Amino acid sequence: MSSIEQRPRRRAPWVFAALAALLAFLPLVAGPYPQTIARSVLTYMMLAISWDMLIRSGQLSFGIAGFFGLGGYAAAIGATYLGVPPVLTLVFAAVVVGVVALLIGAVVLRLRGMYFAIVTLALAEIFRIVMHNWSSLTGGPNGMLLPRSAFDGNSVATYLMMLVLAAVVIGVSEWFRHSRIHFALTAIRDNETVAASAGVNIYAYLLTAFAITSGIQGAVGASYAQLFGFVTPESSFNVNYTLIPLAMTLLGGMYGTWGPVVGAVLLGVVGEYLKLFIPYGHLLVYGVIIVLVILFMPRGIVGLVRGHLERSRRTTTASEKGGAA
Amino acid sequence: MTGFKRLQVALSVAAGIAVVALFLWRPTAVVYGLQRAGLYASIALPMALVLGIVHIVNLAHGEMMMVAAYLSYAAARALGIDPLLALVPTTIVMFIVGIVLYRLTISRTVDGPELNQLILTFGIAMVLGQAVNMIATSQPRKISLDYVSASATVGDVSFGVYDFVFVALAAASLAGLYLFLKKTRLGQAATAVGQNPRGARIVGIDVQRTYTIVFAISAALLGIVGTFFMTKFSIFPTVGGSYTMRSFSLVAMAGIGNLPMIVVSSVILGVSEAAIQAVPHGGGWSPLVFFGLIILAIMIRSFRGGRA
Repeated sequence: MSSIEQRPRRRAPWVFAALAALLAFLPLVAGPYPQTIARSVLTYMMLAISWDMLIRSGQLSFGIAGFFGLGGYAAAIGATYLGVPPVLTLVFAAVVVGVVALLIGAVVLRLRGMYFAIVTLALAEIFRIVMHNWSSLTGGPNGMLLPRSAFDGNSVATYLMMLVLAAVVIGVSEWFRHSRIHFALTAIRDNETVAASAGVNIYAYLLTAFAITSGIQGAVGASYAQLFGFVTPESSFNVNYTLIPLAMTLLGGMYGTWGPVVGAVLLGVVGEYLKLFIPYGHLLVYGVIIVLVILFMPRGIVGLVRGHLERSRRTTTASEKGGAA
Repeated sequence: MTGFKRLQVALSVAAGIAVVALFLWRPTAVVYGLQRAGLYASIALPMALVLGIVHIVNLAHGEMMMVAAYLSYAAARALGIDPLLALVPTTIVMFIVGIVLYRLTISRTVDGPELNQLILTFGIAMVLGQAVNMIATSQPRKISLDYVSASATVGDVSFGVYDFVFVALAAASLAGLYLFLKKTRLGQAATAVGQNPRGARIVGIDVQRTYTIVFAISAALLGIVGTFFMTKFSIFPTVGGSYTMRSFSLVAMAGIGNLPMIVVSSVILGVSEAAIQAVPHGGGWSPLVFFGLIILAIMIRSFRGGRA
């Protein structure tokens, strides 16, 4: 199996790495507005990656917004009542949300396919309703203000914070792809019965993946709370946080780290301009993208490019062989 | 199969006992619960048809109902007619919308992985919601009608009468669907396709055509429900979303493909929701119990399905 994964790599990764580094540091010199866009791109990118990490096992979650919002509230509550320092609220939220996901997942991960998908949709609603009604703790419909935000809202420093968080998430995702978990999850997706009979402990692997990806969504929610300084039931649990990462992942390409990254950068920047032209309907575009990609380009951009590269490589090796003979 | 029958009987008896108990405690809660059950059942029945026959989880189900409600609203406003007169044109338009939606999008995912279908219909739901939001804004719309607020008093219990239209609607849909599936050639073909698509193809049934018409019928039914929905409730672009979840959980509770049990599940859900709201200060938390019930229903069903 590993021989398929460890195909000889060419110079391409270095080119990509250099390009990524350039893109990542560009906003630092470009001023506050590009930094704002870049922060939102990174937010959605991390959500997209975490969603993709779970779907690699075949489990489709519509609950991104739920864990995202829960993370925001965990950060606000931790900072207000427990005095957790701003930057550490990210870790705090990741742990709290991860544990919540572990407990919930222990029950709902017995579900598959449409049952699991609908339950995650309902879970997101439940989190919102709890935060909406638990007024004594969460301030009810008005939400709550954070006592102080990370780096006092300094644009460059918060951008760097998001960049570090994104690097960690990308790292975790790549580790997922190259560890035993990847093979286990892929086996589950391809054929669960065969995976189980081959001795893969499906339940444990799914639970691990669910807790980690939800923890990431919680940390991202906490970083959002730090960036904006407040959380409310309507803004923190907004369906956008499910819709947009989904569209980004599909456009970029599922089942890998780089699809969501490419999709997030592309749609994040384009989306910012769409907001200027159609302020009340720009989300329509994300829905249309989801529909079109599923119908006509299910492998996404990264899948298309990879397929194209492989085809051209095959033709070159074939012609080389032809020349030698 | 006997276990399944036993569960059905148990559920029906439980629903009956709950209704009687509630009736002794709060008679109005029972009336509202039954009216609510009528609404839920009439929205869930089209989904039961599509999920049971075509095996498509249409996550845009509630949004299609919402679009139908807006269509009737627009017709009533533009022509100055009573919204109920818009019933026929809306139903016809929704039938066509169903055909187009199925042919253009969903038919391409029928043979593919289930995930694609879920994501696709989720995308369609978003497109419909956002498109309506863009055209009609998020402002709630309502046409006030005199006959909607008619009320009746029985003994010392007084309640709205108009809502019983949903009970009648649910009964009519169930009867209609039952006749369609058992008595018409198309309905029998649809059942055959649902049981075994390949076998149906071999004996000469046009599978894609059957799928298309079944999907279009469910869309047309949503056109009818949407029109009645709009006469009673305020409509806004996100009004349909929760009904997708409600309908799905009702179908899951009833067992996929089992239409009559939808009614029993709806009574359980509607009456228990009304009971919670009858408790003082229970209003704010009642959605939580509702979503809890959804998850519980799906969990119980899937455990049973897993063992069978």
